[in-house]
Amino acid sequence: MQLTLANHPITDLQFGAPAHLNGTVLTIDKNIVRRVILEDQAFAAVEFELVHPGEPCRAGPIFDVIEPRAKAEGCGVDFPGILGAASTAGLGTTHVLSGAAVSVLAEISPDLTRSATGRILEMSGAPARASDYANLHHLLIIPRTQSGLSRQAIEKAYRLAGLRVAVALAQTARDHTPESVTHFDVVGPGETGREGLPRVAYVGQIFSRQRKPEVDEPILYGANTDGMLPVVLHPDEWLDGAIVPSLHSWFGGTETYFYQNHPVILDLYRRHHAREINFVGTIATIAGADNFDRERHCQAAANLVKWNLRAEGAVLSKYGGGLPHADLAETARLLETMGIRTAVMVSDVSRDRRVESALLFNVSAVDAIVYNGGNGMRWELPRLDRVIAATPQFFNLLSGPMTIDAPNVIGVTNQQGASRMRSLVY
Amino acid sequence: MRIAHYLNQFFGGIGAEEYAGNSLEIRDGAIGPGRLLESALGNDAHVAVTFVCGDNYAVEHEDELTAAVLAKLRSANVDLFVAGPCFDAGRYGAAAGALCRAVQQQLKIPVVTAMSEENPGVDLYRDALYIIDSGTSIAKLREVIFKMAALSNKLLADSPIGSPHEEGYFRRGWLRDQLVEQKAAIRLVDMLLAKMNGKPFESEMPATAFAPVPLPAAVQDLSKAKVMLITDGGLVPKGNPDRIEGTAATRWGSYSIAERDDLHGEEYEVSHGGYDTRFVQEDPNRLVPVDAMREMERRGVIGKLHDEFLSTCGRSNPLSNTRRLGREMAAKVKQSGVDAVILTST
Repeated sequence: MQLTLANHPITDLQFGAPAHLNGTVLTIDKNIVRRVILEDQAFAAVEFELVHPGEPCRAGPIFDVIEPRAKAEGCGVDFPGILGAASTAGLGTTHVLSGAAVSVLAEISPDLTRSATGRILEMSGAPARASDYANLHHLLIIPRTQSGLSRQAIEKAYRLAGLRVAVALAQTARDHTPESVTHFDVVGPGETGREGLPRVAYVGQIFSRQRKPEVDEPILYGANTDGMLPVVLHPDEWLDGAIVPSLHSWFGGTETYFYQNHPVILDLYRRHHAREINFVGTIATIAGADNFDRERHCQAAANLVKWNLRAEGAVLSKYGGGLPHADLAETARLLETMGIRTAVMVSDVSRDRRVESALLFNVSAVDAIVYNGGNGMRWELPRLDRVIAATPQFFNLLSGPMTIDAPNVIGVTNQQGASRMRSLVY
Repeated sequence: MRIAHYLNQFFGGIGAEEYAGNSLEIRDGAIGPGRLLESALGNDAHVAVTFVCGDNYAVEHEDELTAAVLAKLRSANVDLFVAGPCFDAGRYGAAAGALCRAVQQQLKIPVVTAMSEENPGVDLYRDALYIIDSGTSIAKLREVIFKMAALSNKLLADSPIGSPHEEGYFRRGWLRDQLVEQKAAIRLVDMLLAKMNGKPFESEMPATAFAPVPLPAAVQDLSKAKVMLITDGGLVPKGNPDRIEGTAATRWGSYSIAERDDLHGEEYEVSHGGYDTRFVQEDPNRLVPVDAMREMERRGVIGKLHDEFLSTCGRSNPLSNTRRLGREMAAKVKQSGVDAVILTST
């Protein structure tokens, strides 16, 4: 397996016809993307806006952020199992419009117990400096779904719309020569030529069974993860559309863009290329709903790391709320027992900003912990002239001035490694 | 910059233990370590007032001492309050901590003190104050004063305070959010590789240990026992009368189940954003098993089911809050005269 990314840097998006890529400027034909979306009968109407880095502009709530990517002809399916056959992701060439994003707005607040605003996109000011997403040129999809649909049907429609538009945009670049090409070195437990380098694996949770997935909720190759056990994945599968976030993306909060640019996998690749490590592969797993579930998943994940990947060290990340911390720690504990060294990454759960509230496990072998932050940071946002929302209610709510908690600005906090926001102990 | 400085009788130059009963003296200008503090703080630093008090007097008359120091400071117009360093002198540390906390709270000016790890003042005041680790050796006075001065200057300038390790203060047990250079992913792999290569690494979060909760004695005769149900799964009557929050709840409620053999979903709702509540909504007995308990009551397995259940939401709740909720609920349990409690969680 070997993925090649054909990179087309984008410095501007504009509307026009026909759709085309001219150097680093992408022209988007609204009629074409509208058609792509309205093919799904869940939508009554759709509007589009463009936003750019540094622009005093706010949009939200954001359902998903997707990097426009499209498989080269004959190289496979975009988002396999979701937009097409569930063929293996990560093979051949994928065209990437780097610097651009397709972002889908939501008409409903993702989680009233957490925030009324949902997660917003803030393109300027202090929050923008803390989010990678503020550095991108976004095509915003402003949907209007048919009335009477279930929340689940609406979110599924958002997911598909975002993915389809992202692919459609990137297809514009397929006939162009990329500015640069990224090749990933061969990775796998059986690869030779790296003897003596530390064998390192990644174990990533991709869902938490704190919520039962919907029957048709696409997560892994279109499957909803129900009944799944941990599975060995090639790192390129994560990067190339095999995994998308749960439809309740606020729950463990990540975006499709995150998987496409998975920071842990890219960093392991970087060190693999530098011959600092031997990156032997990855395990995708889920957090359990009860003790049986937990033991099954943790043991199977640890066993795969030991016997299949034959790793000597592993980095682990979680997905979801508090409960997945226990699965994370238990998997790491099992690995340590097997002689495999571990480092784990957790999300910020301390709401009183006390160290004693920060960890949800106390396992002596799990002694290398990266702590993501965000619960203690908030910003005062000014009133802005340009606010983009899918409903009048959200427009009013987001107009400002307002105070916003860091986790409610998309891209600022992240459980799985994409954030620079850290809680420091003092 | 004007500074106020607190010293005990020994560092204040009055004398040793035999003068520990001396009451508070307020003097103009710097005394002893205060002169070193002035030079460590820099050019315009000036100790405007020095408080000197015997250690015994200070701990035996804490309230009077605090009131007198605050009264003087209100008119002294100082920018900074420094106490000590106290090294391992326990009464000195306790007094310095109490004064620093009071000054910080009342006058909102920066305060700094220093003690050794063994000093009881550290555990009493570390969460409220920056306490420089002085060690126990008075020979290190100069070094300690310079650390206190460096931290004071940062506090005065409102510049970012480094880690306990960098600045030399005792970990206070708080978290502060900051944007750092490297993404978490890179820090994670760095940490793993250091660990694999046997190199030193610093976990970003220390483990927290809690004292074990002793098991209560077993219920002597369950068939005569009154049993109560308590849940942190967020089940509340329709309308959520106590407005129990679905995350980090600050409240709990007590709800009657007298005369009820069964709980029906249409009469209840679930205030909890951390799990899939649909199954409890469908049948609340899945969380608060009134149906099963009534059955046991009928069969004589238990004496009686208490006619109220207690409920809160256990999601993402910090310990400072859950301790209070727990104490309040425990008081309610005691007052209700129940013999056993079944806690259900999610």
